[in-house]
Amino acid sequence: MNTSGILSAKNRINVIQGDFYVSDDRELVLSTVLGSCIAICLYDPAIEAGGMNHFLLAAPSGTGEIGPLKQRLYGAFAMEQLINEMIKRGACRSTMKAHIYGGSNIHRAMAHIGVSNANFARDFLRQDGIPISMEDTGGSAARRLDLKPATGQIRCKHIPTEDVPSSALPMMRPAEPSRVGDVELFLTEKDHPQWDRSRS
Amino acid sequence: MGPITILTVDDSPSMRALLKHALLGQGHVVHDAEDGVVALDWLNRHIPDLVITDINMPNMDGFGLIEALRKQDRYRDMPILVLSTESSDEKKVRARDAGATGWIVKPFDPEKLAAAVRRVTH
Repeated sequence: MNTSGILSAKNRINVIQGDFYVSDDRELVLSTVLGSCIAICLYDPAIEAGGMNHFLLAAPSGTGEIGPLKQRLYGAFAMEQLINEMIKRGACRSTMKAHIYGGSNIHRAMAHIGVSNANFARDFLRQDGIPISMEDTGGSAARRLDLKPATGQIRCKHIPTEDVPSSALPMMRPAEPSRVGDVELFLTEKDHPQWDRSRS
Repeated sequence: MGPITILTVDDSPSMRALLKHALLGQGHVVHDAEDGVVALDWLNRHIPDLVITDINMPNMDGFGLIEALRKQDRYRDMPILVLSTESSDEKKVRARDAGATGWIVKPFDPEKLAAAVRRVTH
């Protein structure tokens, strides 16, 4: 694939862990550095727009590990934010193409994390009916990822972990969304009499 | 709290599966629909105790579903919870004005969801 313009782009947004971005700006490049984390790139040629997320599903023990259901819920949240933003711009699950990157096993003791992240992403996309046209996961190297969202052009470069500044590597803990499950009830008992479906 | 019948409405099969897993674990009977149109069709034939709906869906979104239900006498008082990745006040006000009972921000916490279900159904 011709990736000219990706490296020289002046308008670049770094998609950090826990974040996502969608655009149809032809001058924009989305970039990130991945270790065990996963980045999903979505592109829909019908609307010439694409996007990227960046998330960590599982974490090494001793870092406040969360239960399996909550891990999947947080991962699903990262996926849904990206997919929803694409759909708001007119994309369809059936016409979108997905690429999966990352899930590297940087440290042997943490080997399950990269695999677990990649498995989750693959299963989610398949269950949601979004075709996966490219996957580059696993291995032991970090990845530098660049996406031109308006064209779907992608460049993924493997980088020896020791060549990546520690400040550029993602945090080794799952990004817990700040507003997990906030509940707001609108109506009082007076406004909202107890529902009794037998009356209906 | 005994089991209740809940209809969940979400266009993401993955999210429907996760929500179903959580609600079944709390002992409820769960049916699901992929958008507002499919939900209305099901609701013409069945009456649940609670509807939990996403907002952003194709064909008919969550706002359209809530408005359509509140126009029907038999669904005037049924609790309807919105479950969405969105959390803007503007969207919440629109949902409240349409007749929603409450708003839960994704990713949902299973315990908070259980508490909200108890609160609006008992």
